[in-house]
Amino acid sequence: MRFLRCVHAEFLLVLPRLTRTRLGMVLLSLGATLVWLSAHGLDPLAAILQAGALGAIVAAVEIVGPEDDRAAFATALTHPTTSIAVATGRCISIVLPAAALALGCAVAVGRHFGTALAGLATAAAVGGCAMAVVLLLGNTAALALFLFMTVAGTIAPERLVALAQPGVVRLTAASALELGPALWHYRDIATGDLDALVHALAWSGLGILLASALITRRIHR
Amino acid sequence: MTDFALTLSDVAGRGVGPLSLGLVPGEIAGLVGPAGAGKTTLLRMAAGSVRPRTGAIRAWGITVNHPAARRVVGYASDSPVFPPSLTVREVVTYYARLHCTLSDERSPVGLTREALEIAGLGPAADIRVEALGRADRHRLGLAQAALGGRRVLLLDEMLSGLDGFARRDLSGRIAALAAAGVAVLITARDPAALERLASRVLVLRKGRIVRAGPLATLLGERVLEVILDAPPPEPPPGFRVTAAGIEAPLAGRTVEAALALCRAHRLPVRATRVRVKSLEEVVLETHDTH
Repeated sequence: MRFLRCVHAEFLLVLPRLTRTRLGMVLLSLGATLVWLSAHGLDPLAAILQAGALGAIVAAVEIVGPEDDRAAFATALTHPTTSIAVATGRCISIVLPAAALALGCAVAVGRHFGTALAGLATAAAVGGCAMAVVLLLGNTAALALFLFMTVAGTIAPERLVALAQPGVVRLTAASALELGPALWHYRDIATGDLDALVHALAWSGLGILLASALITRRIHR
Repeated sequence: MTDFALTLSDVAGRGVGPLSLGLVPGEIAGLVGPAGAGKTTLLRMAAGSVRPRTGAIRAWGITVNHPAARRVVGYASDSPVFPPSLTVREVVTYYARLHCTLSDERSPVGLTREALEIAGLGPAADIRVEALGRADRHRLGLAQAALGGRRVLLLDEMLSGLDGFARRDLSGRIAALAAAGVAVLITARDPAALERLASRVLVLRKGRIVRAGPLATLLGERVLEVILDAPPPEPPPGFRVTAAGIEAPLAGRTVEAALALCRAHRLPVRATRVRVKSLEEVVLETHDTH
């Protein structure tokens, strides 16, 4: 119960961040762009998944990216909370706006429940991953993740294997696409693929655990 | 036997110690020393943020690394950082929520109001953190540290870099907390900041306490200042040259005896005065002799 209260306290900070930083405007612009693209030829399912993934990356940059926000972890942990509660609360703060964006896009393009669920799962997976990446490597790495999700994340590993020459690089890239959070994988959630849903939730959980470890390491430095 | 609010027993690690110290409820102890002496590390150890290699640190009998100790010990860092887009009230409410449990009679709103009042942040409650000045950032640091009725406060450079008015105001607030039974360990690069606040001073050098004692004892020594018409070619034994003349600690001898020494050296004495040695002088002397 204490854990949930700490997570809740952390999560409640999302609203001021949405309305007072550029996060709200960036998410709205991203959503509008994706809806416009889907009206002009982009696959509507891809637009919803991109909304979840890119929205989560943008939210991670705004919520755990600023140095002051990261430095404030040390003060928070002198109070009765834990790094896992802080990481979980921040992850929910990241995922929720992205999930809302994915849902908004799903409504705008007129898709059904399964598609919306795929968008939510994508937001959860990429949110966890992006939070850990931003805490570990900073905002530049978030840009790389953003570009990856925009372009490479939509390519299935089988297509990459077929396209590229055999070799270590090809296998590494294909493995990264297979194991990492990628949009090609989460498309199947729309058609009821439970494996893909578990993959997304596992990434969300892994992101929280990694972020928690990084927060602990940061304050004990 | 006195119940200690905070005890550090044979603590060593990260360039600090071995050292031991105890703080009683209501006491304000000042930790002074040059940059790099280990003041911040020692405070972070006492707050449970850094584990010592050896030794034990307890706050009201609870090991500081135990989560329960965070309800008792408050820590304010030397460069207080808070989420910049939030207002002062939102920041304090966030920390207050971490202190409340379902069975608790206290509400986050009540704790927030109390903390804002303690730190004197009422008028600035709706200002965003990014717009706060240095003094208000320190007040916010004090508010979050004192939140929830914590009984041990570890304040790192809380009074440093502030103007005289802000320093006096914050000192008064810290003294009021101590008067209510809160034990305070406060560090300062500038010992003068603690002269009107601390009841006990600990001088830290290279991670070790090289001098400690009640402020009244440390400041008990008197100094004779002699203002001269012209600088002396060589000061009398025990004196040192200052901008206006010479000075020497009285250290047991009388003013007359010291002045007789000046006359014997044919120094053109214009005026004299006896003053109490400042804490800064005590700290610098301690530093030089160790």
